[in-house]
Amino acid sequence: MKAMILAAGKGTRVRPITWTLPKPMIPLIRKPVMELLIEHLHRHGITDIAINTSHLAPLIENYFRDGERFGVRIAYSFEGALVDGEVQGLAVGSAGGMRKIQDFSGFFDETFVVLCGDALVDVDLGRVLQFHREKKALATIVLRDVPREQVTKYGVVEVRPDGRVLRFQEKPSVQEAVSTVINTGIYMFEPRIFDFIPSGQEFDIGGQLFPALVAANEALYGVVEPFNWLDIGSIPDFWEGTRLLLEKQLPGFELPGREVRPGIHTGINLRVPWDLVNIQGSVYIGSGTEIGAGATLIGPSVVGSGCVLQEGATVRECILGDYTRVSSAAVLERKIISGGKCIDPSGQYLDINESQIGWIVDDARKRMQLTAAEAELWEQVMDHVMA
Amino acid sequence: MKIETKDAGRYLVVKVLEQRLGADRAASFKDEMSKLVEQGHTAFVLDLSEVKFIDSTGLGAILSILKRVGKSGDILVTGTSDTVGSMFKLTRMDRVFQMYPTVDEALSARV
Repeated sequence: MKAMILAAGKGTRVRPITWTLPKPMIPLIRKPVMELLIEHLHRHGITDIAINTSHLAPLIENYFRDGERFGVRIAYSFEGALVDGEVQGLAVGSAGGMRKIQDFSGFFDETFVVLCGDALVDVDLGRVLQFHREKKALATIVLRDVPREQVTKYGVVEVRPDGRVLRFQEKPSVQEAVSTVINTGIYMFEPRIFDFIPSGQEFDIGGQLFPALVAANEALYGVVEPFNWLDIGSIPDFWEGTRLLLEKQLPGFELPGREVRPGIHTGINLRVPWDLVNIQGSVYIGSGTEIGAGATLIGPSVVGSGCVLQEGATVRECILGDYTRVSSAAVLERKIISGGKCIDPSGQYLDINESQIGWIVDDARKRMQLTAAEAELWEQVMDHVMA
Repeated sequence: MKIETKDAGRYLVVKVLEQRLGADRAASFKDEMSKLVEQGHTAFVLDLSEVKFIDSTGLGAILSILKRVGKSGDILVTGTSDTVGSMFKLTRMDRVFQMYPTVDEALSARV
């Protein structure tokens, strides 16, 4: 069976992280989401994968290359054009992206799977295929049952007892929702599906293809499967998802590195005076990181690789990107540091340069150079706090 | 820097009427506050409820006024939004200044 991963989106709801990182490359602890997805596909015996890319495409393509390292074979379908060195996206939509590949080479010559590249899933594709075959489906949607209060975030699907899809509701209110099963963005298709996808225009799976199938009374089915699903479609989701993983609440997900002390996983080449620091799990500390005496690190937290926590720094429930320096004057609590931004779990953020807080948190590879104003603040803070 | 003052007994309530207290406005803010200090005021409630952005220079400006009013003086900070409040917490300025949600709460706490 072949697969397609949709990885061309701009990830607008995960800004500002997605200003510098395409959504499928957002790391869950250390691994990009899409790597976890490809590992999952590989485990199900899928080897040939087409991936559409556009926004920050090189970051995806240079990481996965031809897929050999992951036991798969990958072909990219770049959507857009390079204009003056900038990628200009070509809006073709999710179904349009499928069509573009099919028009190019007829790649999808048998039953295939399409998944969004921004969620961690471990659905049993073998069972989905079995269902798909039994129903002689043209398209099967993998559905998931969610608590009623959560339906407002998703595309709700109404299915007959035999699994035939009746209709869709996009983000309904709790009262209006006709069911509590939602579209997970995982689909199984027969190549005949392309009869319903026009070439050369923007076409979306959920918004256009599926309604067309329902209207044409085609065999569109939904199957509810129990599986672990971590959606990182927004900053709050990414925040909650990371915490879940750190607290080992996702079965089957192994924390990277070694557990050097209870609740503390690390990489290698660390400089940490364990008896002089206050570190409480669950935390992951990346390779090459330095933590100074008197620093405090409270979990759940992820500290990237090459980070520096200066003496006396306080980091509490944070996700720090690689090469983050937290200075002695800082108190970082419930923050994501990524791409020069200091982000709240709600999605609100400060730009480190614009807000002049480089003296609090910055790139560890930069020399620490304080302006006069920052130096004065630093002195005042250190005097006052240490007094 | 546009401000609005109101007498509240021991404290002078100073409301900043501009949205940005950044590097470009900090000097002007310091000037306005210095004038008030020269007039004899040493205890302030600084109402930042209109302020949407503050950078380190802005924080530094507020700090310099605190230094000027000395040990007998006081600056209470009120009305900080999420992002402005974040700046105070990140830089430990929330331990240098007493912070309250509203002017009224600040004043009743200090009665």
